[in-house]
Amino acid sequence: AELRLAHWLPPQHTLQTTGFEPWIKSISDASGGKVTMTIFPAQQLGSATDHYDMARDGIADITFVNPGYQPGRFPIISAGELPFMVTNAKGGSKAFDSWYRAYAEKEMADVHVCMAFVQDPGTIHSREAMRVPGDIKGKNIRPAQATMGSYVNLLGGASVQVPAPEAREVIARGAADAITFPWDSVYLFGVDAVTKHHIDMPLYTTTFVMAMNKASYEGLADDERKVIDDHCTSEWAEKISAGWADQEASGREKALSQKDHTVYKPTAEEMNAWKESAKPLTDKWHEQVKAAGGDSEAIFSAFKSALAAEKALAE
Amino acid sequence: MNQLTRGVEVMAGLCLAIVTVVIFASAIGRYLFAYPIPDSFDIARLLLGITVMWGFAVLGFSGRHITVDLLAEAVRPAFRRAIDVFAQAVLLLFSVLLAWKIFSRLASAYASHEATFDLRLPVWPFIGIIWIGALMAVAMAMLRFGMLAAGRQASPISPSENIHD
Amino acid sequence: MTSLDWIAIGGFVALFAMLAFRVPIGVAMSLVGVGGFAVVAGWKPALNQLAISPLRTITDYNLSLIPMFVLMGVFATHSGMSRELFRAGQAWLGQLRGGLALATISACAGFAAISGSSVATAATMSNVALPEMRRFGYSDKLATGVIAGGGTLGILIPPSVVLAIYGYITEQDVGKLFIAGIIPGLVAVLMYMACVYVAYWKHLPPGAKVSGSERLQSLKGIWAVALLFIAIIGGIYAGVVTPTEAAAAGAFLTALIGILRGRLNTRRIMESLVEALTTSVAIYTILIGAMLFNYFLVITQTPQKIAAFLVHLDLGPYPTLWLILGFFLLMGCILDAMAMVILLVPIVFPVITQLGFDPIWFGIIVVMTVELGLITPPIGMNVFVINSINKDVSLVTIFKGIIPFVITDLLRLILFVAFPAIVMFLPNSM
Ligand code: NA
Ligand code: NA
Repeated sequence: AELRLAHWLPPQHTLQTTGFEPWIKSISDASGGKVTMTIFPAQQLGSATDHYDMARDGIADITFVNPGYQPGRFPIISAGELPFMVTNAKGGSKAFDSWYRAYAEKEMADVHVCMAFVQDPGTIHSREAMRVPGDIKGKNIRPAQATMGSYVNLLGGASVQVPAPEAREVIARGAADAITFPWDSVYLFGVDAVTKHHIDMPLYTTTFVMAMNKASYEGLADDERKVIDDHCTSEWAEKISAGWADQEASGREKALSQKDHTVYKPTAEEMNAWKESAKPLTDKWHEQVKAAGGDSEAIFSAFKSALAAEKALAE
Repeated sequence: MNQLTRGVEVMAGLCLAIVTVVIFASAIGRYLFAYPIPDSFDIARLLLGITVMWGFAVLGFSGRHITVDLLAEAVRPAFRRAIDVFAQAVLLLFSVLLAWKIFSRLASAYASHEATFDLRLPVWPFIGIIWIGALMAVAMAMLRFGMLAAGRQASPISPSENIHD
Repeated sequence: MTSLDWIAIGGFVALFAMLAFRVPIGVAMSLVGVGGFAVVAGWKPALNQLAISPLRTITDYNLSLIPMFVLMGVFATHSGMSRELFRAGQAWLGQLRGGLALATISACAGFAAISGSSVATAATMSNVALPEMRRFGYSDKLATGVIAGGGTLGILIPPSVVLAIYGYITEQDVGKLFIAGIIPGLVAVLMYMACVYVAYWKHLPPGAKVSGSERLQSLKGIWAVALLFIAIIGGIYAGVVTPTEAAAAGAFLTALIGILRGRLNTRRIMESLVEALTTSVAIYTILIGAMLFNYFLVITQTPQKIAAFLVHLDLGPYPTLWLILGFFLLMGCILDAMAMVILLVPIVFPVITQLGFDPIWFGIIVVMTVELGLITPPIGMNVFVINSINKDVSLVTIFKGIIPFVITDLLRLILFVAFPAIVMFLPNSM
């Protein structure tokens, strides 16, 4: 089978070069060349926000989805966006995938979910020093995703929603005071020139899913489907995201090594204040999952124990 | 009929004014009061969608789409009229397909609880108004098709009205 | 040739056939795009592109500056700003030989500074400047040529709808693109003025005396334009506002100035809104079509193959660039400027960046190339507009009158290809 894989990152992105490409090659090798994939990067087949629908509708056979682009649509998986949960993307992705498998079929019923993974944790990068939750009050912050947007509002700040390319502009001219980003993105987007202050804590992650069109999946020959199944595993969720995770994590080292950058490590007491301040978000998540008919308590504790098992749970 | 086309025009024009004011006010809010209007981003872009779809209905009747007129200008009037009827039929077909598919998008947005970023307003009512705009586009394109097919010019067409770039 | 190649070729044939039969460009691109996608991937996915893509295009925040810059230009026209610009040009340049032609060029530049559209610039100037030039004995050939040429400044001098769309397609900073248009715009003004003297010297009527007080008086009329330009483009240059905010502020302030000066009432505002709407939605229709057509091309791997082919030819950067520009010039004869940018830029842009050209600079070069399409036969929108406003001047007369300006434009194109630093000086200083 010849499959189309669509994503919305540039073709030279680490996720393509160290994630998708080796994955595709492994699939091709394992199937003796019977299952091949063509990558359509950079929103070539549709807008980033639409990649779930694109898999559902068969516009591509397999797509890279950020469920957080459509707040409210996939309540369970947004547990991955909650603050202070995941400490690293490698074990985190493996845990996240093994946890979400139990709910994927119901929550993303229109597609065949191949795997789920998370981005390396991001934090707050600001123009002026920020240390405690109270520092957010009255500040304008560009959030990475909708849950972060709610968090900023919750702490008395305002979320400034601008497209990523405009983010630097908005901060440079003072219309935003801070941005939430994974570590190396600060450098990739050139924000490091203006945000010299960083808080060293695993504030949030962004969640991703590789979604397959159902008909494309079911239409595969048995041996082909087995190859795909063997590549849609928690182990692969870790492998596919590892290169990107390492790259983002390297941004933290970079900031630590630069004299004009301040990386602030909150005290245990301050960390508790941060976690306490984020509690309403978790409550809201419970509410939304319950409203969608899920046993939110069980789902949440399953998520925590999965993370703990991979040593990726924030203490 | 005149009232219907005028109504669609006014609706789309007012929406354009509101989008402009929302974006302007949001920028002012950010600079003067250091406080952006919540959801101005999502609301502006959804209103813009309404503006464009209702505007598409306006163009379906006025015939002011951008076209290549090389052949039409070179042929006899009777043939030119045939060309215009054909072109309008194609526009009508497209409008019907669009209205049909936007309805399925509306159904999906309703079922999936998609919401705006800040206030978590449901998105489907906005898409619903866009879909009504698409229905209007079908009606307008059909009106003009009827007039062209009956040999009446639906509205004057001259290049000066195709001012766009 | 693979079967995908034949499908792509079939798509282009179907597209041009529909275009010839006057199907709106955007609609033809949409239908061929969906049909072609269906041939490759099946009907269900193809039709579902219609459910997803057009809605995404029309609700894209990044495109909202287009209707607002158009609206700004329409408000400016309806509040008489073009007439005042021409008066000021007349007061300051009118005493020179051929002064009204020079005044027209400067007024076009001034109007371009607050309007994003070339055709709108040409249209408003034909209403304002043409009768005056004819009254003072300028030949129809010269008078219409000046306006058609000067009108093209509309998309080079910021704000510019074409540059905004180029920036959108290529993901370049629209603010930088706008700022990059300033120096080439000023050079264009000087070259057009030189062109008037060189090509028409013998036919230029003498100037008329203008008093000092008249000159001062004329400045009173154009403060609004100056203020708007400084606020909008200055704000973008200084990084105080994003282009989208600048567009909203521009439209809002232009309306406000018009209202305060008693030039805009409710009825005129409504007319302006509908006019801007018509213009913008015509552009959006092409954008919708371009996205759908592009998905079809991408799924047949056409842009990738064309890029690989051009790179494989291995002509070296400049011959490849001229090959591309030559193709643009050729297509400009029949295609609309906007349609050309939307249809062709996605295909050639990867090649351009691969060859090491600066994407901002290429944006300016593209605009200057499609600009030529506005004034070259057989399809030249600026020429058609002037002709439709002044039916007694034949198309042939205008096209003849414009020849010296076409040559000037080509010289300017060569100049900026040879010296990219002139284009990049301002944006690099941002
Ligand atoms: Na302009
Ligand atoms: Na032309």
